[in-house]
Amino acid sequence: MKRLVILTIIALIAIPTLFALGQKEDSEYTTITWWHPNAGLAGTASDELIKEFNETKGQELKIKVVGVYQGKANDVLTKLKPILQSKDHRDLPDLAQLDGSAVLDIRDFDQLITMNELAKNDQDYLSNIVEATRLSVTYKNKMLAMPFNSSTILLYYNKDAFKKAGIAEPPKTLADVAITAAKLKQTDDKGRTTFWGIANVPTSYEMMVWLGQQNGLTYLTDFENGHTGNPTRVLFDENGTMVNFLKRWQAIYDTGSLANLTSDLNGAFASGQVAMILASTSNLATIVSMVGDRFEVGVANLPMVDENATGGVNVGGGAIWAFDNGKGHEWAIWEFLKFATSPNQQLKWHIATGYFPVNIATYDLPEFNAHLLDNPLYGVASRQLMSSNPKLQGIWVPSAYQIYYAFQSGILKMLEENLSPEATSKAIATEINGYLTEYHLMQAE
Amino acid sequence: MRVKLLIKSKPYILIFPALLLVVLFSYVPFIITLINSLHAVSLSGKRLGFVGLANFRRLFESQSFHASLTNTIRFTLFFVPTNIIVTLFAAVLSNRKGWLANLNQIFFFLPMAVGMSSMLMILKMMFNPSIGIINHLIGLKIQWFNDPKAAMALLVIAGVFLDIGFDFLLFSAALRNVPKDLKEVALINGANDFQIFRHLELPLIGPTFIFVLVTNIKDAMLISAPVLILTEGGPFRSTQTLVYQMYLEGFKSGNYALGSAIAIVVFLLTFTALLALLRLERRRIYYQ
Amino acid sequence: MKILRPTLATLLSLLIVFPILYSVSASFFQYTDFTALPARLLPTTLNANNYVRSFAESSLARFLANSLFTSIVGTLLRMTISILAAYTFSFFSFKGRNTLFVIIVATMLLPPDALIIANFTTIRALRLTDTYLGIISTSLLAPTHIFMLRQYFRMMSVEYREAAVLEGCSDTRFLMTLLLPMSKAVVLTLAIHSFSTIFNDYLWPLLVTNKTSMRTVQVGLTMMGFSENLDYGPQFAAISLLMAPILIAFIALHKPIKESVSTRFTGR
Repeated sequence: MKRLVILTIIALIAIPTLFALGQKEDSEYTTITWWHPNAGLAGTASDELIKEFNETKGQELKIKVVGVYQGKANDVLTKLKPILQSKDHRDLPDLAQLDGSAVLDIRDFDQLITMNELAKNDQDYLSNIVEATRLSVTYKNKMLAMPFNSSTILLYYNKDAFKKAGIAEPPKTLADVAITAAKLKQTDDKGRTTFWGIANVPTSYEMMVWLGQQNGLTYLTDFENGHTGNPTRVLFDENGTMVNFLKRWQAIYDTGSLANLTSDLNGAFASGQVAMILASTSNLATIVSMVGDRFEVGVANLPMVDENATGGVNVGGGAIWAFDNGKGHEWAIWEFLKFATSPNQQLKWHIATGYFPVNIATYDLPEFNAHLLDNPLYGVASRQLMSSNPKLQGIWVPSAYQIYYAFQSGILKMLEENLSPEATSKAIATEINGYLTEYHLMQAE
Repeated sequence: MRVKLLIKSKPYILIFPALLLVVLFSYVPFIITLINSLHAVSLSGKRLGFVGLANFRRLFESQSFHASLTNTIRFTLFFVPTNIIVTLFAAVLSNRKGWLANLNQIFFFLPMAVGMSSMLMILKMMFNPSIGIINHLIGLKIQWFNDPKAAMALLVIAGVFLDIGFDFLLFSAALRNVPKDLKEVALINGANDFQIFRHLELPLIGPTFIFVLVTNIKDAMLISAPVLILTEGGPFRSTQTLVYQMYLEGFKSGNYALGSAIAIVVFLLTFTALLALLRLERRRIYYQ
Repeated sequence: MKILRPTLATLLSLLIVFPILYSVSASFFQYTDFTALPARLLPTTLNANNYVRSFAESSLARFLANSLFTSIVGTLLRMTISILAAYTFSFFSFKGRNTLFVIIVATMLLPPDALIIANFTTIRALRLTDTYLGIISTSLLAPTHIFMLRQYFRMMSVEYREAAVLEGCSDTRFLMTLLLPMSKAVVLTLAIHSFSTIFNDYLWPLLVTNKTSMRTVQVGLTMMGFSENLDYGPQFAAISLLMAPILIAFIALHKPIKESVSTRFTGR
């Protein structure tokens, strides 16, 4: 009996250790690490990108790129922060793909290498990048990171359901959404909703656009949403944009066709339980494959808050940031960044995911236009961006993760407890101001 | 002379590792956490100035903290009785002889063989509202991740699956230690199964019961991994627990001062709960 | 009435074991099986593609090796430290014995999860991130084990040991040939418990490891990243593969496992 136990234990250790052996480091290559949040289809695509680089340019220049999945974009930031804050920077990855929630935390570190520095011998390269995306990572005239996975938020809708309900066009304003959603809703004989018009509880992503686009352009916080300095307080309470939005959102809720779902929206849409959702263009490939041939997917511009909200949308998604870990990898990092943003690679990335290309030249490639002809949905995001005000930028705030939930919880509370938009606006403002104040208190002298 | 010194210092050498660990990973961090909670701390961990109880005051005023506190307490109150009832019930039901009983027992402690992450990932996929198998089998469209009540229920269910293996073994062993002759005497005197359980078995498994109760309460108050993997504190913070908020503040926001304050609150909570329980145990033993 | 107990027991036990059965079934699901409505219980085909993918597309073997290494070494170290400490407190008399004992055991009230922020800073300062030692470090201390072991050891009378010493028995011999064999049940139970605690640890390894090559299986499993688009197959395959050896071991060794969990250590 005892022998059996010992043998089992030995077997349990032996088998996997055999697999684990044989992991050697190739020391004549310069190895660059790239921390990223790409999973699912995006993960496969970024693995492909790395593989192609390693087999072509990498071979040529003796560079090896290693990609490490670290969770969601915010998780990559969580892993990065302790290393940036300690005095020892040897553990920094060479590259990290982050989103807008990371800017405030990373921006001021000495170890950050700006794109201007990396491109010092290649000055013209930066002008190949789509201007709006470049602006979205520029601070005080320095380009902090390389746009890579750029997206805008879109309205996804079930074309078959629209046809059945006799609706010709996707809604253009929130008022239209209320009418459209009400028409789409279906209930069973007990009065329970079996098919929802729309599902969403707004978070920072949606609010950035819905508040920022009002009256042509408004800012959510002072210092131009944090782009000219650290934000100290929110403005959406004072300038009335929040109340305006909340009133129209509550109107949609009052039609009874809005489902307050916060997770698995793609699944709910794909399985035919809800007619409209709001999601990033980066989900396009995923949603289309999830829906399969159940129904026809339609994609449209994000509905405006009202006719005066002409600001359009901001550039979302993320960018790749470069760090100095003392190993002198700048030249290798720059080669990889050029590769990742080259016209062909951006085309492949675009087709595999739905993110729109950041290299201007991609849009002229015949393959790009051929793909667009067969898959018109892929062009909506970039067209929406081109018709937006380039000054509409995302918010650079601390505690981005918690502010995301502050919006969501506040809006839900309003809907479920039937509170007034004014009270809700004030409550959300107070909570977010709290986070901004906390951040201020944490600043070292 | 030297030999005597060696012999005399032997016990100290033997307990040195334990002592070092205790100081390094329990006392020092505790004191640091306590100090940090009373200061303003920068993003890089530098202490910026003594602020007394200001961090705690801000903490108690924040809505996020109210949510964490109520959710943690609510989870503890739901989880502990549910888990104890289910595991005890399972142990009692399978406390019989025969191959079927053996099979039952194996099934009951098998979840212990499944790692925590594995179990949570399995549950996450099984309970998916649109394509998960659970909603299909029970015929209802419960929004497990979007409805606060369902999400809390899901956490309790996850907790039971995670703890049932070990707790079942403990209860089973305790039941087996109940002297058979006492049971036979009770049976002869006409007692039914339920009476035997209530008046004979339950008191005799007292110490094990207390042990399971104490560890369950401690685990419930400190719950973090199921929240991280299953619900991420959602929906709408309805499953945000104290340790999860501590992770959010301390690691995601880099707010060491607030994170430390939450840690102190967690510590006080578990400390008082455990103390209260130990008092209870002493009273029960006196009774016997 | 007599059949009520077995029936209830069987029903409940099937309910408990259902997730395990489901995950094995789902490990054979194709992508379309997952997105199918209504949800499926059984796969359409039995092809092992998911298993191949889960190994090829992730470092599953490496994760498992890391977990096993840290759990086994961690358990051995933890038990050694605890046994030595408990032994010393039970059989030696030296100055400050009671105070030191209280100091060590009082930490039972300081849950490591609450101290995780400060501990992380310590590990980082010691440059132990992404190392096995860093992962095990906080699990090496087990005040509850030391407490229980001392309770148990003290049941053995002091004269017994004095007699053994007089006979020329060294401490180590006493420990290995007499004390430990007599305490088999308790030690084994505590070892099993240590192993599963370290094996199942999630938050700490998550914070302490950044490199994929150092991830434990608990963290690595949740980071396999297949599930963004409901492509759960490889993840279920990985889970089933992970479960299989331990499940088999448990079923085969179910008798000694049941018997080793003695209640003598939970209280008198």
